Amino acid sequence: MTAPNLRNAAAIVGAAESDVIGYPMELVGERVTSLQHHIQAIKNVSVQTGIPIADIQGVFSAGWTGELCEHLGLKPRYLDTTSVGGCSFQIHVHHALAAIHAGIIDIALVSHGEAGWSYRGGGGGGGGRGQISPAAEMTIPYGTFGAPSQYAHAMVRHFHRFGTTQEDFAHIAVVTRQWATLNPRAVMYDKTQSPFGGPITLEDVAQARVIAWPLTLYHCCLVTDHGGAVIVARPEVARSLRTRPVWITGAGESMGHQNMLEMEDFTATSASRSAATAYKMAGLGPADMEMAMIYDSFTVTAGITAEMLGLAPRGKGYTLWKDGDAAPGGALPINTNGGGLSFNHSGMYGMQLLVEAYRQLSRTAEDGVNGVTGKQTTATACVVNGTGGTLSTTGTLVLTSDDR
Amino acid sequence: MAYNKPVPPQGQHTKPFWEGAKEGKLMLPRCRDCNRAHWYPRLICPSCHSTDLEWVPASGKGRVHTFAVQHRAFGGWAEEVPYVTAFIDLDEGDRMMTVLRGVDAAKPEEIRIGSRVKVEFEQANDHTFIPFWRVVEESEASEEGVAT
Repeated sequence: MTAPNLRNAAAIVGAAESDVIGYPMELVGERVTSLQHHIQAIKNVSVQTGIPIADIQGVFSAGWTGELCEHLGLKPRYLDTTSVGGCSFQIHVHHALAAIHAGIIDIALVSHGEAGWSYRGGGGGGGGRGQISPAAEMTIPYGTFGAPSQYAHAMVRHFHRFGTTQEDFAHIAVVTRQWATLNPRAVMYDKTQSPFGGPITLEDVAQARVIAWPLTLYHCCLVTDHGGAVIVARPEVARSLRTRPVWITGAGESMGHQNMLEMEDFTATSASRSAATAYKMAGLGPADMEMAMIYDSFTVTAGITAEMLGLAPRGKGYTLWKDGDAAPGGALPINTNGGGLSFNHSGMYGMQLLVEAYRQLSRTAEDGVNGVTGKQTTATACVVNGTGGTLSTTGTLVLTSDDR
Repeated sequence: MAYNKPVPPQGQHTKPFWEGAKEGKLMLPRCRDCNRAHWYPRLICPSCHSTDLEWVPASGKGRVHTFAVQHRAFGGWAEEVPYVTAFIDLDEGDRMMTVLRGVDAAKPEEIRIGSRVKVEFEQANDHTFIPFWRVVEESEASEEGVAT
């Protein structure tokens, strides 16, 4: 098997620097932030090449991609923020080449900004000592720290726009808990695992303590430990193994914003775009999905995302849970591991989604650890959607089983 | 009582905002090329990517876009829970975050999205005045001038 030939598949078409480099304080009398270095260089290379910034489709940087895209108002199709030291930028070029060769994007930006002198002593990579992003500067005063304090605003806007209620979203918590009671590895499996484990009711969700209204405790995900890994291989390798392959039939990614301050529509995420890309690649649509693994950091995350993935009409995502479709035995099982709400959520929950999707589609959902029956579905196609930040970034996969 | 809430370090390009705040003026960045105001303050216009930006005094008026009631908080805010945070649609366009005043955090169902709000400033230290937004009557917000 020969690798795809990427030779001449892309070229570097321009290169520029920020306005003042070296020792800015000594040259122009003021410090320059890392963000300023980035933006100046990007503006300059845009002017140099005549490529409007708005035409950039893929953004590659060492840890800055979300911040840069938001600052520039870009909604990229390809995000890469690989940060592995000084060679990161050669790697970005490699990744960009692959993305272009693959036909995902035509124009990629690789950007660097590092106030190594102006803010020396602050370490590499991110901001550096004494620097602050302008969005943080304008939101720090108001005391919102942690995800619930932010996500609550999205649920209130959903109420306003679609006439939904806390109870509508509470169905998501109740049904997701039903799945957890079928998964012995779920934190909320039963009362022996946790005093709060076992089935819950709508009333339990309503009566739980308020974290950030309208989010009560049961609208919020767990905080747990987790480790997970998946291996991706080319078809020839996959066919030679004793494990069953689950095919990556579609994939897409996008972002809406970095900070919630820039969330244009508080009832929508970029999953509509990342899913459109993934469905198109797969040649399948929402109606073809037989189950879904949807990032449920909060009930509102899952409800909105179901709408973005086209699994339910706008404003009606919660009905999948309320009407029982998402529940064990339902027509469209969702979050069959018990979700971030009741199985496990370690802060970044994307790996848990992948592990469960693999188990379901490889028919090993009884996980081989406890051998308890109950949560294995017959689904042959699963849409998997991860959500990052504050409803900010999304990655969507369409996975299909080998027996489909 | 001394101000005990978080006070942000002031950035490289936001000085006009904080200078205006000292005088009770809400300053907004605006693009000289496309004439659009934006928030938060950029180094480049997020609409047209021009770097020809200026600061202009805003009306200090807007409407509640969405809100939440914070029941858990840290530092000085922990003493104030529950309190209402909100995103404000500015009359000039774009959106700011704030802690909303003139509302009852115990009765969130009575807080109305779309309510008229006006900006006010609270002194945090010698060089920092923090903007807050207060729900006001529709008529009060349509008056000319900015309350201080």
